[in-house]
Amino acid sequence: MQIIIQGLLLSGLYALIAMGFTLIFSVGRVLNLAYGAYLLIGGYVYFTISQTFGVPKLIGLLLAAVVGCLVGLLKYRLLVKPLKGDHVAVEISTLILAVVLQAGVVFLYGDSSKILLPIVPGVTHVAGASVTYNLLAATFASWAILIGLYLFVRKTHVGRAMQAVSMDNRGAAISGVDPDKINLFTWGLSGALGATAGVFFASYTQLSPSMWVAPLIISVAVVIVGGIGSIIGTLVVAHIVGFMEVLAVAVIAPELRGVFTMLLIIVVLVIRPQGLFGREEL
Amino acid sequence: MNLRWTHLAMWLAFVCLMMAIPEFVSKGTLRTLIFANFLAIFAISWDVLSGRTGYISFGHPFLIGIGAYTSAILTKRFDVPIEYAIPAAVLMTMVGGIIVFLPALRIKGSYFALVTLAFMELMYQLVQVIRPDLTGGTRGMSGVQTLTRGAVNGYYMSVSLMLAIAFSMWLLMRTQLGTALSAVGMNEESVRGSGLSTTKLKLFAFLTSAFVAGLGGAFYVHYLGSIAPRALFDINFLFTIIVAALIGGASTIIGPMLGAFFLTFLLEFLRPYLPGAERYFIYGTIALLLYMYEPKGLIAIIDKYWQRTRGTFARKQEPGESL
Amino acid sequence: MTPALKISNLVKKFGGLVATNDLSLVIEDQQSVGLIGPNGAGKTTVFAQIMGEHRQTSGSIELYGHEISNDTTPERIRRGVSRTYQVPRPFTDMNVLENIRVGMMPNNIWKMITSPPRHSRETEIALSVGFAKADLTKTPGELSMGDLRKLEMARTIATGTKVMLLDEVFAGLTVAEIAQITTLIQSMRKDGMTFLIVSHDLKALEPLVDSVIAINYGRKIAEGSFSDVMNDSAVRSSYLGAA
Repeated sequence: MQIIIQGLLLSGLYALIAMGFTLIFSVGRVLNLAYGAYLLIGGYVYFTISQTFGVPKLIGLLLAAVVGCLVGLLKYRLLVKPLKGDHVAVEISTLILAVVLQAGVVFLYGDSSKILLPIVPGVTHVAGASVTYNLLAATFASWAILIGLYLFVRKTHVGRAMQAVSMDNRGAAISGVDPDKINLFTWGLSGALGATAGVFFASYTQLSPSMWVAPLIISVAVVIVGGIGSIIGTLVVAHIVGFMEVLAVAVIAPELRGVFTMLLIIVVLVIRPQGLFGREEL
Repeated sequence: MNLRWTHLAMWLAFVCLMMAIPEFVSKGTLRTLIFANFLAIFAISWDVLSGRTGYISFGHPFLIGIGAYTSAILTKRFDVPIEYAIPAAVLMTMVGGIIVFLPALRIKGSYFALVTLAFMELMYQLVQVIRPDLTGGTRGMSGVQTLTRGAVNGYYMSVSLMLAIAFSMWLLMRTQLGTALSAVGMNEESVRGSGLSTTKLKLFAFLTSAFVAGLGGAFYVHYLGSIAPRALFDINFLFTIIVAALIGGASTIIGPMLGAFFLTFLLEFLRPYLPGAERYFIYGTIALLLYMYEPKGLIAIIDKYWQRTRGTFARKQEPGESL
Repeated sequence: MTPALKISNLVKKFGGLVATNDLSLVIEDQQSVGLIGPNGAGKTTVFAQIMGEHRQTSGSIELYGHEISNDTTPERIRRGVSRTYQVPRPFTDMNVLENIRVGMMPNNIWKMITSPPRHSRETEIALSVGFAKADLTKTPGELSMGDLRKLEMARTIATGTKVMLLDEVFAGLTVAEIAQITTLIQSMRKDGMTFLIVSHDLKALEPLVDSVIAINYGRKIAEGSFSDVMNDSAVRSSYLGAA
């Protein structure tokens, strides 16, 4: 029972983390290896605003999202667009960017990790398992954001344009959708999502300059295993990964928590490169 | 083979220059140069695989790590003499090269890069968990037998290894095989369509890359005398290798060397101003700008500049082509 | 005499779609055959099966009497069959000679290392397809569409092929370039090359072929001389139906 609850909570967080990465992969067709840096930025912005300056937490969270969004927009304009079409170049340059941003954080905040106070303090007990309100809040926020995103993509004009671009760039352009604008929008959205996820992730673990690697790997796993980014696929696979980790920790050994995620990536990529759920559009 | 005496003369001059360096610089600078030599070896290894065939490896520390760990474990835990441990380590690394090669049979591009990244992370986690009595777990190993004592000897060892590897790779890449490997990177389908087995070519590239990585890794651990998983299977380390190859100029031999020396000295140059990891901020930014400005690397920039001056002054003709 | 290429009862299914439907054809040595049909008739799929890029569902493909269905693409090429592509696929950072060099290489790592490139033969092939001396060191980015098609044919010749499959050789070419390629194919026919040519440009195809096979929905609908096939009612209606 404890495993199920912990699995559900962790998976909710992972789904939130992976969502922004999925969006970019689906719409822009590129792997943004600096995605983890949004989480880093989100975490540190929130830390500065809410914990250092004591601004209300909700505003801190919003500002983190805004900064993440700005970074995403800049990244698209300055990096991804000039390298258009060259996926490998985008991957390499985003990887470099991630290292640069990590070093920037070290520069501003120092090398040591920081504890982020829970966004929602307190602990409750559900069926014998102790659950922090913080993780609970993260999970609820994650679900709310995912449902919102799903409705947004399905129901709004912009959302449908995103679907169109994810299916066929040129086709979308012919139908009067400007892929460039949609891409820009998606990068901004992805940045905001990543930064938001970063705040929750940092409060779940801790704030450190190298905190971007683990979420990046999780996102990669989710996207790879789920197939090219559908929102539902992301949700399902986030739960597979989350539960696998919780099970590995509980049943086998805590040190092995990441091993199975890695194995899953390798096995799925080699055996079924199109992912478990195949190619879907958002 | 397409050799010209001017090329050989330039190599000779380069070797003499590298060998003479310890006479002129301080011990501290030599230590920096030693690191640059190893970085150049790793960058050449990366380039043989990724720069040529276009299969971008984001997990090169996986191969280097196999070489380093095998040799360290054999010498330290089983008292195997170093002259047997290193060849064994190279062989093990080549086995690792085959492991990396298998996914390349089915997937390419971004997916391949991600598998290799997963390999590296997997190795990092497994090394800490499986048989920590052998690997030293999270803390790694220290007191590994060293090959040399002192900076000068260390420099000679590393520079000889680097030059030997660079020169043999240079010879190899000047043959038709080098052309074929580059062709795989440009258009794999057309290589098959020309009647060549790309499987064979890729396997060769992966094995050669692993051979160099294993050799470099094993010698590196016997130079340092210690090994730590976090420093080895690290994205910053990976980043340095890739950037060295790219910034210098992928698909050449002189490029990765140039990149390695450029990066190492940039890092050293920044040390007085920024002592810690924040150096990577400037370092990475410069790397990023250079990469965005000229994806073909410093070698292409120098080449362009060289062509221009040669055109302007029309002096005696020298080989301006990239090595 | 054994035919150069003999395809018997070839079937290719993609899921429920039958792309090649019980297709049989024979090309005698040194003959030139046109393969025509409306868009989506399955012409390129036939090429892909001959080259082993797709494995057929059933049926056999024989090259000079040898069954090649189990061979890989490079093995088939070394047996003497090669194709060009509708969209040329050159090695972008290599010059014309180096592109041809890749076609000439032995498929053996050791020989690649030890044997030097045969520069004179490379030049000979390049000149034979109509490249000017000044073009030999140009990279594909500097070449016209017509030159790129010549380059593809040159690399194909370099593999030592005896049977050449040409996919839409005239697509995207100027009138002058079509004339050049036509002359080139004619001279290669004289030298004994066997051809299977796919083209939408029927007028340009006519002088190049001894006979024509028309397919639609992956099935052969007519076969014979160019004029016979053109006058065939099934062929006419298939083209009209597609248009």
